[in-house]
Amino acid sequence: MVERQSPLDPEFHVGSHGNFEHGVEIILTETQPGSIVQLAAWPGEEKKLISAIRTVTGLALPDGAGGGLSDGVKSVFGFAPGKFTVADEAEGLAAAFAKVVTPAIGTITDLSHGRTAIRIAGPKAEWVLAKFFAIDFSLPAFPVGAGRSTAHHDVFAQIQRTGADQFDIYVFRSFARSFWKALCHASEEVGYEVQ
Amino acid sequence: MSPRRTDIGGRIDRVKTIRFTFDGAPYTGHAGDTLASALLAKGVTLFGRSFKYHRPRGLLTAGVEEPNALVTVLKGEVREPNIPATMVEIHDGLVAISQNRFPSLAWDINAVNQLGGKILSAGFYYKTFMGPAFGPLKGTRFWMFCEHFIRRAAGLGSAGSAKDPARYERMNAFCDVLVVGSGPAGLMAAKAAADQGARVMLADLEPRFGGSANWSDETIDGAPAADWARRIVAQLEGRDNIRLLPRTTVWGYYDNNTLAALERVSDHKEQPGKGEPRHRYWAIRAKSVVLATGAFERPLVFPGNDRPGVMLAHAAERYANEFGVLPGERIALFTNNDSAYRAAVALKKAGAAVVAIADIRPELSPEMRKLAAEAEAEIFAGHAVVATEGGKALSGLKLQRFDMTNGAPIGDARSIHADCLLMSGGWSPTIHLASQAGAKAEWNAARQAFLPPKPTQKWIGAGAFTGSFSTLEALAEGRAAGLAAAGGQSTPSVLPTVEAVPGDPDPAPVFEIRAKGKSFVDFQHDVTAEDVRLAHREGFVSVEHLKRYTTLGMATDQGKSSNVPGLAIMAEALGKPIPEVGTTRFRPPFAPVSIGSLAAERFGDLKPERLTPMHDWHLANGATMYSAGLWYRPMIYGLAGETIEQAYVREAKATRETAGIVDVSTLGKIAVQGPDAAAFLDRVYTNMFSTLAVGKARYGLMLREDGLAFDDGTTWRLGEQDFLMTTTTANAGKVMQHLEYFLDVIWPDLKVHVTSVTDEWAGAAIGGPKAREILAACVTGTSVDNATLPFMGIVRGEISDVPVMICRLSFSGEMAFEVYSGAGHGTHVWEALIEAGRPFGLVTYGLEALGTMRIEKGHVTGAEIDGRTTARDLHLDWMLSKKKPFIGSAMMDREGLIAADRLELVGLVALDNRPLNGGAHIVEEVDEANPHGSIGHITACCYSPALGKHIALALVKDGKARQGTRANVSDPLRNRFGPVEIVSNHFFDPDGSRMHG
Amino acid sequence: MLITCPYCGPRDVIEFTYQGDGNRERPDPASQNFEAWNAYVYDRLNPAGDHNEIWQHSGGCRAHLRVVRNTLTHEILSVAFIRGDHGRGDHTSAARRKAEGKS
Repeated sequence: MVERQSPLDPEFHVGSHGNFEHGVEIILTETQPGSIVQLAAWPGEEKKLISAIRTVTGLALPDGAGGGLSDGVKSVFGFAPGKFTVADEAEGLAAAFAKVVTPAIGTITDLSHGRTAIRIAGPKAEWVLAKFFAIDFSLPAFPVGAGRSTAHHDVFAQIQRTGADQFDIYVFRSFARSFWKALCHASEEVGYEVQ
Repeated sequence: MSPRRTDIGGRIDRVKTIRFTFDGAPYTGHAGDTLASALLAKGVTLFGRSFKYHRPRGLLTAGVEEPNALVTVLKGEVREPNIPATMVEIHDGLVAISQNRFPSLAWDINAVNQLGGKILSAGFYYKTFMGPAFGPLKGTRFWMFCEHFIRRAAGLGSAGSAKDPARYERMNAFCDVLVVGSGPAGLMAAKAAADQGARVMLADLEPRFGGSANWSDETIDGAPAADWARRIVAQLEGRDNIRLLPRTTVWGYYDNNTLAALERVSDHKEQPGKGEPRHRYWAIRAKSVVLATGAFERPLVFPGNDRPGVMLAHAAERYANEFGVLPGERIALFTNNDSAYRAAVALKKAGAAVVAIADIRPELSPEMRKLAAEAEAEIFAGHAVVATEGGKALSGLKLQRFDMTNGAPIGDARSIHADCLLMSGGWSPTIHLASQAGAKAEWNAARQAFLPPKPTQKWIGAGAFTGSFSTLEALAEGRAAGLAAAGGQSTPSVLPTVEAVPGDPDPAPVFEIRAKGKSFVDFQHDVTAEDVRLAHREGFVSVEHLKRYTTLGMATDQGKSSNVPGLAIMAEALGKPIPEVGTTRFRPPFAPVSIGSLAAERFGDLKPERLTPMHDWHLANGATMYSAGLWYRPMIYGLAGETIEQAYVREAKATRETAGIVDVSTLGKIAVQGPDAAAFLDRVYTNMFSTLAVGKARYGLMLREDGLAFDDGTTWRLGEQDFLMTTTTANAGKVMQHLEYFLDVIWPDLKVHVTSVTDEWAGAAIGGPKAREILAACVTGTSVDNATLPFMGIVRGEISDVPVMICRLSFSGEMAFEVYSGAGHGTHVWEALIEAGRPFGLVTYGLEALGTMRIEKGHVTGAEIDGRTTARDLHLDWMLSKKKPFIGSAMMDREGLIAADRLELVGLVALDNRPLNGGAHIVEEVDEANPHGSIGHITACCYSPALGKHIALALVKDGKARQGTRANVSDPLRNRFGPVEIVSNHFFDPDGSRMHG
Repeated sequence: MLITCPYCGPRDVIEFTYQGDGNRERPDPASQNFEAWNAYVYDRLNPAGDHNEIWQHSGGCRAHLRVVRNTLTHEILSVAFIRGDHGRGDHTSAARRKAEGKS
């Protein structure tokens, strides 16, 4: 296997940065899932797609717009009507879905290379993300597991809350380094650690 | 300690000494001081020079509304002008300078402007810069010459040109209740809402919460009001459902309860913390808002009311109680209302002598007489100040009896010796945000003030903002507002008790004392009462026109203290009541906002940029990068000593002779999937795609609905229901939106999904006579020979263990292939191709060579598909299917789009062998001195190594018919004129034998 | 201005792209009725009051929305997915009737 190159490489500096003398309040990392797949159901076929997701990942999606969940290895969330993002530590998710998502249910688009997953965690995660995105990150408004589609200027982002103070942000690969730099910059005032 | 500083009280910490400079002189103050209070404590009265007349000016206020004491703060090379000294918190190392003076504040040469007062009156600029209409200077440029000096003389601080290294940030916030203002009303509102469990934000532009409680000298619940405020703030600080924002000015109230605020995070510090911004721009979406913004005290308009030492009454009260500073030793007061008596008592308590209280009203209440007695002040009821005396500081004033019925002073003048005169013309609720939110303010005759309008958005007012000027009312209204905003029910708990100085909130309806001398209405813009009347005499009747003509209220203080007096004087001149004259609508910002905070992270290193998977390789291998939209692409890979032209000529030549490789990852790529994908593409493209075989690609053209050309690119059929569409780099986003629109809005029945996969794939285009051999040397799992991979064929294989997709298509006109791999493998595949190409002399080439080869081939790009050209104009009419309708087909044959004299794509060859320029015009006549009669323009140009000539693509009127004729290129701005030959746009290998192999 | 996307919830207007007057009706693709095409491509209602508009949530779920918005007050009266609203709603026809001067 040829290893995939991370778009963050030259700007990915492991260690503590910024105003960390009083403690680190942000942890940044790239989760590097083996597969990222976008699934989209035809109108009326959403339930079948959700059931297919359960078959492949074992994750039972909750009802409602933007609903999602993560078991730490696999993650899934809705980001648009009838559309879902699924990520897995392992490769091969698109092939696995090709067996169960028939053309009558919907489509599968492999984005394993095309999206970069950045994780921000820590007590100041909401604070730092609020510098970028005009959405409400508070826990009642954005529960654990849920997904949101939003944008920071031209940078589209799908964000899944994977913990009380942890978010996974999926951005276009070409924007990833630029967004990462901005995220590090914005985390400086609270002190951050890159892992 | 300075003699002006009281021994106890206020927000300052007398133990902590802070050192700063003002106009180069060293000063000390205490922690908690503003620049204004610290200088005042040192006996400084002169703070600035006025805008037009360069009159000496001192402090008028103690807060954000300050019009006079504007300073420039220097931080290293960066200068920030026009900051009220009242809003600058001192810190060690602070450097502030005064403004609009030369050579110094005390000796200002332009003070002679005062003598020419008649010239600099209302409408001065309009009149002056027209120049004289008669006389010897009529029609000369003399006035233009004068303008330079006049403009230099009038003005405020000057902006710096150094790059601002400070950090600015934007913050998005959501809350249930935003409370603006932290006086007794705001604190009660915030507490009541937070008690209900609501998410609350509390913002105040001052560093210390409490508002009037910080200086009112009242008691609340038996404690000094300031202590009560500290106690409430301490309670709020401990809760996690409230965010406290001191030093935060809420400056804009927009639709849907979206508010804008500026937090001055580190201006008060010598150095910001690591990573800490200077300013933070808060965009706040609040479910409801409590406006507890208080009120501004108004000056009275009388001659000499701008002399240093003349100050608003409550400002003096603030300096005494909040900062422990006496603004003078012998203090006189001049008022039309009861509130000033509080100030008299406060200053007396603080140690000053209150020598006189002149009250316009002939009848005074027993309570006021009692307060005057407490202050040991002599009362002059029914009197007005008609003049002030002194130079750069007040030395005395003149009183005269005042006739309320005709507004005129009568009888003998009487002199009073005083070094400070406090004035109060009543109060104007700070309704700016409510006014911004919509609806007109309403005049209240009793309060002589505009009160907030009925809410058109979800806000509730409380306290002085509503015209309820007593603390008891503020507490009650604040709590009720907080409860209501949080959606809670009023509980029968007891309100805090208040011990306050009594007073009637309604002033006498007098704004101006008409006597000889300049009486200022707008201090910051030097607008006098006479200017307002002059505007009226010159025919201005609308308040909006008055404002613009006199510039009243248009300075950086936005007329916070001057609007109502100005209106009153205008109304009197018009003979109309004030409500009929109306008020202007307030607009954002409430107070000046740093541009940096608005730009925040949108500039410099933090603006978003897009990088291809091979970006770092390009940098490491000598590429000069070029920004194309947000993308960065190699322009050339220059060798040592090469010019740009030498580099691209070498790259293009080598590609045509052996092989070249270019990064094409930026091309837009859209996955078009679903059972109706082929049918959809038939509707989107002008040509057929349903007939395309799986494993083949086709060049497609899209039109807009209006029939003009939109975008082009190849689309690959990867499966029966699976297409990969490519678009031009620049149009990727637009094409995506175009497709989504038609699928969502026009053809919802089509089962098609479109997804941007631009970033999924790395693309490398390899072309040239040796390209196939290079591929053959590195591709495994498939053959790349002509049978397996014909023109427009697609194969899948591997390069260096990585899966790739290869399509044989050509932009350069050479035998060429596009190799796509997963983006994370892009550099790996790229390096493998480079390695495989090394024995063949493969070169890397950039955008310049790419452009050169496409011009030689006559291919179109965005320069030609410019939103004005049709498929026919670009000789692409062969792509317009007659078998089916498609987007744009109904409109493309309109009369104007098929006219004979349209601009059509042609090639140009420079006959004088000199470079051509993009944008240059094509003319028929040889008339270099007077070029005219453009028949078209150049869209792209280069030196063609294949032809050995300077060539260009151009859009020329009836171009096809002109092929073979001569014309001239005219580019007067770049001094270029010369003969060209008009030829076909297909300069090189017109029959495509090279790419078909 | 906030637009409440039926999928994403209330979002700032910066996330949305205005996609034009929602009263336009695209003629049959094969139609040669030039007047109808011209009206579709170029004619726009410009009411001072409630307007039927198309917005795309381009910085979010990317769905197209039918937004009824008051052009004087910026008040948003309704937001719905445009996909599947075949009848175009009563509002549309009312606005069109009004624009055409019919009752």
